[in-house]
Amino acid sequence: MKKILKKVKYIVPVIAVIILAGCAPQPAKPLYNYAGYSDSYYAYKKNMTPESTLQLEKSIEEAINGTENSRSGRVAPGMHANLGYLYLKAGKPNEAIASFTIEKTVYPESTLFMDKLITRIKASEGTKK
Amino acid sequence: MKLMKYLAIVLLGILVLFTSGCAPKINTITKGEKFPKMYDQQPRSLLILPPMNESTDAEAKDYYMTTVEMPFALMGYYVMPVEIVNDVMKQEGITNTEMLYDLPLNKLQEYFGADAVLYTRIKKWDTSYMVVASHLTVSVDSEIVSTKTSEKLWSYNGTVVQDLTNRSNGGGGLAELIVNVIATAINTATADYVKYARIANIKLTSSVPTGPYHESHMKDQGIQIIDQIPVK
Repeated sequence: MKKILKKVKYIVPVIAVIILAGCAPQPAKPLYNYAGYSDSYYAYKKNMTPESTLQLEKSIEEAINGTENSRSGRVAPGMHANLGYLYLKAGKPNEAIASFTIEKTVYPESTLFMDKLITRIKASEGTKK
Repeated sequence: MKLMKYLAIVLLGILVLFTSGCAPKINTITKGEKFPKMYDQQPRSLLILPPMNESTDAEAKDYYMTTVEMPFALMGYYVMPVEIVNDVMKQEGITNTEMLYDLPLNKLQEYFGADAVLYTRIKKWDTSYMVVASHLTVSVDSEIVSTKTSEKLWSYNGTVVQDLTNRSNGGGGLAELIVNVIATAINTATADYVKYARIANIKLTSSVPTGPYHESHMKDQGIQIIDQIPVK
């Protein structure tokens, strides 16, 4: 009787863990480290101010510099592109082109779109001169 | 021995209770059976189009848009940055989502080079408020369509219903009722839909066969998912 109860004591928490893991599989590290990107992006869409823009830029930089806290060790898709887009809106076309180029290198799937964006920037810079 | 039998029944009961908490509909199917075309075509990149807002809340589109990239990227796909896509389409003169959703797939393929397009439709983004009780609902229909063959590769619904009713455990009476009514009103006014949209997205994306950047790519055909009938 006692023996059985002892066994059960161990079985119950194990089952609980299995069930809970089934509800929400949570590996130790996520595939990518997004830092505060999602919250910052939401705050930015709610209220586009210089402060929320700066906070979004900061979150993206944290995500880019924090890849060791991810399973892939790679920056998340679109992070460099999003950073480049903020640069472009801030009137820094060269920094934007550099970021779009990194996005292509990390994720070749983005090549066509990034090249389009780079071509556009170069064209509008050309007309300015 | 009798005790063991009894315990087995109790544990089984608990298991059923828990799993039914996760999934009210018991019909399950494997990812491989439900979405074989995802495994045939194996898209690498998804073009996330800005959401179609079919809810009553005008702000839902902009807010929901901020939640879509992350869960699909975490399932192993390259996702086109939705903010840039949205702005570029506007600059191209496609100012409303209806026009965007009517664009031929080959045009989207030519422009963005994505293997597939992800369409999202916000079906519900509202609160039913009845003074003494309040429920928030976020519901999203989503589908992945191949830009190569125009076939629908995947579709699923994510719905979250959250009870915002305040129920304090006091002795009852009018004073307590008033306190609860006020608290329910505050819960309703301050409810953050995006928080629930993110949960709805987890429900959506957990049914997606994983993409090439995920460890279980082409190994998750046997994973069981809820075989849902699309909520209309």
